Amino acid sequence: MTVTEYPHLGETLHSFTCPNGLTVKIVPRPGFQKKLAYFITDFGSVHQDFRLEGQEYHMPAGIAHFLEHKMFELPDRDVTGEFAELGANVNAFTSYDMTAYYFSCSQNFEENLRLLLEFVSTPYFPAESVQREMGIIDQEIGMNEDAPDSRIFDSLMECLYEKHNIRLPILGSRESIRQITPELLHLCHRAFYNPGNMVLCVVGDVDSQQVIHIAREVLGNERRPVGEKLPAQPEPVTAVCGLVRQQMEVAMPTFQLAFKCEPVGKGAGAVRQEIAADLAAEALFGESSRLYLRLYEQGLIDSSFGGGFETVDSCAMLTCGGDSDDPEAVRDAILAEAALILEQGMEDSDFLRMKRSAMGRRIRDLDSFDSTCFRVCAYHLGGFDYFAFPEIYAEITKNEVLAFLSRVVKKERCALSVMDPCDKKEEI
Amino acid sequence: MVESTAIIPGVTLHWAPVERFKQSAVSIQFVRPMNRQEASLNALLPSVLLRGSQEHPDLRSITLRLDDLYGAAVSAMVRRIGDCQTTGLYCGFMEDRFALKGDRILEPMMDFLGELLRRPLLEDGVFREEYVESEKKNIISAIEAQRNDKRIYAAGQLLTIMCREDSFGVPRLGEKEDMAAITPGMLYAHYEKVLRESPVEVFYVGSAPMEQVAALVKKMFAGLVRSVMPMPPQTPFHDTQGTEKTEIMDVAQAKLNMGFVTPITNRQEEFTAMQVMNTVFGAGMTSKLFMNVREKLSLCYSIGSGYYGSKGILTVSAGIDADKEEVTRREIMAQLDACCRGEITPGELTSAKEAMLSSLRTLHDSPGAIEGFYGTAAISGFPMTVEEYGRRVEAVTVEQVAEAAASLRLHTVYFLKGGSQ
Repeated sequence: MTVTEYPHLGETLHSFTCPNGLTVKIVPRPGFQKKLAYFITDFGSVHQDFRLEGQEYHMPAGIAHFLEHKMFELPDRDVTGEFAELGANVNAFTSYDMTAYYFSCSQNFEENLRLLLEFVSTPYFPAESVQREMGIIDQEIGMNEDAPDSRIFDSLMECLYEKHNIRLPILGSRESIRQITPELLHLCHRAFYNPGNMVLCVVGDVDSQQVIHIAREVLGNERRPVGEKLPAQPEPVTAVCGLVRQQMEVAMPTFQLAFKCEPVGKGAGAVRQEIAADLAAEALFGESSRLYLRLYEQGLIDSSFGGGFETVDSCAMLTCGGDSDDPEAVRDAILAEAALILEQGMEDSDFLRMKRSAMGRRIRDLDSFDSTCFRVCAYHLGGFDYFAFPEIYAEITKNEVLAFLSRVVKKERCALSVMDPCDKKEEI
Repeated sequence: MVESTAIIPGVTLHWAPVERFKQSAVSIQFVRPMNRQEASLNALLPSVLLRGSQEHPDLRSITLRLDDLYGAAVSAMVRRIGDCQTTGLYCGFMEDRFALKGDRILEPMMDFLGELLRRPLLEDGVFREEYVESEKKNIISAIEAQRNDKRIYAAGQLLTIMCREDSFGVPRLGEKEDMAAITPGMLYAHYEKVLRESPVEVFYVGSAPMEQVAALVKKMFAGLVRSVMPMPPQTPFHDTQGTEKTEIMDVAQAKLNMGFVTPITNRQEEFTAMQVMNTVFGAGMTSKLFMNVREKLSLCYSIGSGYYGSKGILTVSAGIDADKEEVTRREIMAQLDACCRGEITPGELTSAKEAMLSSLRTLHDSPGAIEGFYGTAAISGFPMTVEEYGRRVEAVTVEQVAEAAASLRLHTVYFLKGGSQ
């Protein structure tokens, strides 16, 4: 077990790689009651295409999320009920690039941990329950269709990307999930729910050696072949389509826009690019930016406005959104502001203040178990040690930030997705 | 855990010393009666205060100041707590020990909060019109945005119908029309009244000693002329004739909301049993509603219940297919009947209690949760510490849960479904 201290953050990280390939990360939090464990697999909705043991497979959209739902079923057992009786909350989510199973508790941590590892590593997909799940997921798809934000985002991805699987909703469609069978679920489980493709991260006042011991005991030591994800097809950096407008019953127009970026790759270099991009987002349209104030005072944006830099597997984008009466004017103002920042440059004192603020917010965020656990996992999958972020802030220069703005904030890279209120019919 | 002390008449500091967080939290709540006349004013006031002070006259200078304070966050806080509405500010900021050598955050932060509260930017002796108008617009769009989330919208409609005669029927941010009618002069007069009359609850969670925080709070309120109007005690639900209403909107998924009333409030002995009852019945993934109505019968995607202890109202909400209304209602009532008959397995009771106890135990793990519990308990009249509450939860029996369930009476049903008008 490797122990790394981060005195400036008051954090310690325990790391271990099991013989079966599982990565274990423990963030000790002495004096806290809450214990949180994330068991994640590097398998999300975009990983539909992969190779396993020499054969290539193409899965229906939505299978990662479907699999997440079905994992909670064990023969003649009620997993959620067992957690509840042990005083734990268990839940899961599927994103574009990972699936996470997690519980939090204040007591019976070791029993809960065993249960988590056991149910996620046990495939059990009886045909009739797979059939029944389709109805439940139809309902979830129905809820998303009623939610403006998710419809806006799905359309935005269709506008931004030409081929990438990020174009498809995480849940898939009513049609695509009907192609899912128990056999396909077993295949995905074998390919990706395999310790070599997974991370276990625990935050809390726990015995790290005991965590490692339990993980080895429940999951065994055998190393099995992991599915090899087929690389996404190369994408142009330009958006497919600049604008999409739809209508539904919303009170005022709501939008999300994004500038398509080159993928950042993995490792410290990638995190540095990500932090530079985050600072660029702050400088361009963050709450303390010149543009934010102007748009807010003009009433073009309100406090629902926000944005940042997002990376998903082999995609990356600078994105922002909120409510606005004139989303196209917001987009045009962002393009003009980027040009102005590049023309005028950035004061050193302004850049330092921005860094201090971003750092302070990240440090405060460490109080959140969920955010810390999630970031330790996500950054690990990205090939980086999350707690090393202060070093990157210390090194990063304003030229990196300006270079990002000059490369990315271009009209041809931008897509804008708007949801307008339904046309009001004249009352007679 | 929490020590309380009067700073000046009607201003109470609640100090929760905790060393293990990376951030501190401060809330400043002015306590007002919840009523339609002033709900919109209270909702608007903190947003306007956050637009500009005399020293930091616009949003950007305020945000830059917060950036200097290591990305501290200040937000408007408007709560509905039983018959009260609170208006004020909530602030989270990094603990001094993580700052660069020589930098301090707590002291300048408290000074800055005082500046925002006490020295707002004025024009012609009242709030700047441009700021008032733009914040009115923001809150009106926040109210309208609730229409976008059909779950929140339907839950709000149920309470509005059910609580026609009760302060609980006034929406937390007030009504749109009242907001639209506010002028800078009205808001400024209200601001002066709030500063003069309102009881103030200041809450601090962090590592600084009581004396230091008390001195900073005292400075914040220095020179203020006060004539405090104490709040009347909380009242239970003001009953009206129950009703059933169906509304049609363009939605794919229908929402069924049922409102029940009970004489049990958080000021009564039986409160803890009612909380356990709510958890067994409908809160969380092991509840009867979730396990039966969703999992076993697949009648809905989402279902849950909530108990408003300050009023004695319990609501059930479910996202369903429109043609499942009757059968879902029947099943919800059947599950409630099972609770009334005490048909609760030891596993169900344990899971419910454990879920409650676990959230009580971990409450002390987050500054926001500590503030949320103690910062509202004093105002809602909830008389217990977290520890005492936990002991009572442990002692609740199936019989007590059944008695609590039997005190519930179905009052109002609201159904939102798709289709054209």
